[in-house]
Amino acid sequence: MGMGYAEHGGHGGQVAGGRSVTSLVADPRRPADVSVTLAAGKERFRLPSGRAFDGFTLNGGSPGPVIRATLGQLVEVRLVNGSVPDGITLHWHGVDVPNAADGVAGVTQDAVRIGEEHVYRFIADQAGTFWYHSHQMSHEQVRGGLLGALVVTPPEQPAETVDVVALVHLYDGVRTVNGNEGDVRVTVPPGKRARVRIVNTDNGPMSAWVGGASYRLVAVDGTDLNRPDPVRDTGVLVTAGGRADVEVTMPEDGSPVRVHLGGTTAVVLGSKSYDAPVVRPPATTLDLLSYGMRASLGFDPNRPDRRFDYDIGRRPGFLRGRPGLWWTVNGSIFPDVPMFVVNEGDVVRMRISNHSGDVHPMHLHGHHAVVLSRNGIPAAGSPWWVDSLNVADGESYEIAFVADNPGIWMDHCHNLPHAAEGLVAHLMYEGVTTPFMIGGTEGNEPE
Amino acid sequence: MVAVYRISAIAVMVEVAIQSMSVVFGIAGQGKWIQEGGVLDKAVIEAREFVFPEVIGYLIHGLNGTILIPLTALILLVSSFFTKVPGAVKWASLVLLAVAVQITLGMSASGLPVLGALHGLNALLLLGAAFYAARLVRRSRTADQGDRLASRA
Repeated sequence: MGMGYAEHGGHGGQVAGGRSVTSLVADPRRPADVSVTLAAGKERFRLPSGRAFDGFTLNGGSPGPVIRATLGQLVEVRLVNGSVPDGITLHWHGVDVPNAADGVAGVTQDAVRIGEEHVYRFIADQAGTFWYHSHQMSHEQVRGGLLGALVVTPPEQPAETVDVVALVHLYDGVRTVNGNEGDVRVTVPPGKRARVRIVNTDNGPMSAWVGGASYRLVAVDGTDLNRPDPVRDTGVLVTAGGRADVEVTMPEDGSPVRVHLGGTTAVVLGSKSYDAPVVRPPATTLDLLSYGMRASLGFDPNRPDRRFDYDIGRRPGFLRGRPGLWWTVNGSIFPDVPMFVVNEGDVVRMRISNHSGDVHPMHLHGHHAVVLSRNGIPAAGSPWWVDSLNVADGESYEIAFVADNPGIWMDHCHNLPHAAEGLVAHLMYEGVTTPFMIGGTEGNEPE
Repeated sequence: MVAVYRISAIAVMVEVAIQSMSVVFGIAGQGKWIQEGGVLDKAVIEAREFVFPEVIGYLIHGLNGTILIPLTALILLVSSFFTKVPGAVKWASLVLLAVAVQITLGMSASGLPVLGALHGLNALLLLGAAFYAARLVRRSRTADQGDRLASRA
């Protein structure tokens, strides 16, 4: 099935007693606090913008409904396949779910065929902005709209803050916010705060910037930043699959604020007027390496149990028999890629470097990793926790995480066609096995 | 084989012309689309959609440049060994070399844009080499005919 060769990162490999990914679940006796049923279809439908689109729907539309939960609640989602011939799954992007609920066809489950259903159960144990999408034929199904937002709020939500979801997606190359084109208006009274939860569901990084007020970037990839300062005339780069929560305090004089999302679309916050002027993209981009204040990481990344290299390149060769110029991981073309082997509790350090000529939004399932350095320059701002990291050509990041969520986890490029072209590796806990297969009779194709 | 050589050399010239036409077609379409309010960023590029119809120009440029032209240049080189025309192998090799340089420059230009300028210049060198190769066999064929006529006389 091609999970690659075992890479132990400086440890000997010893196989403990086998555990199946299907046993790695949330407490099955605990009743659900949030129950949602999502019925998926493949059809021609109208977006909220009115534009007709051939793609995928959840409960009749795309994007799918925003799922909201309070921190600590158990979320249970029943996914029903109404009419998607290739089969479907749901992956909870950025949520460190138990492995059985990760939704990767061929790794943690079989693709859900027409007429079948699958139940996902996980505890929303981190407050922040997340999203969900299919991880079966994902380069087609995500593009086609089989996705939605997931928002987890703390129990004591500040009442004076208006919560705005801004899920950005390109349908046939047309940029939308929650399925709408152009300006999306949201009422926020003068002096009040708005938290705009930007989700980039596309295959390349996008920029967001704010006109009419200063803003604070309060969270990245579902994790709050520590004491972020207000900034002005500065853009935020949201990588593919990544999220950025922008907090704006509305001007007292009632003037509107425009949160630009990639140029053609915007969230316009206002009360009396929504006539916020268009502003040019700022020349500077917020550098998260030095934004906010330092704080404890909760573990010591300087004494790692494992060290891995995830080195991305590109060279001519053959991928599944096809000649071409293909991505490489540590010098080799898929399936000759590393499988990073860890034990539960290990502190893991990984160096992700890219000299492939293109940017790669690297996404690790089931874990959040903290950025330690970029191109040798150590992180000096707020702890910068990511699940989707924008690694530009020529960049090298040092990240670290605690292996605290046993299972078999994908660690891949979230430019989904790149993943389909073999830019995929796995993080594998010793002794965890899977009964599922990529390919095979079930036709599982996670990328 | 002389015919194969000559046709491949002319084909390279035609393909180089298509290359310059298709890429400018793409750029012009992109300019029009942006004038009309379109915004191009990495996410839009990576969507791999026909956001404006002239994207086909970029597609043709890419496929022609990485598949068709190298293939034609290879045929030119292989046929050159059977033409028995002095200089044929040399000029076919130069065409293939220019093609290899051209692909490398094109692929690297997004990292170092000045290589894009050299890509444009090298296209002219490639065109020149293919032109010379095509003329070479025509010239030698007329020379052959002249020799034959002379021997008959």
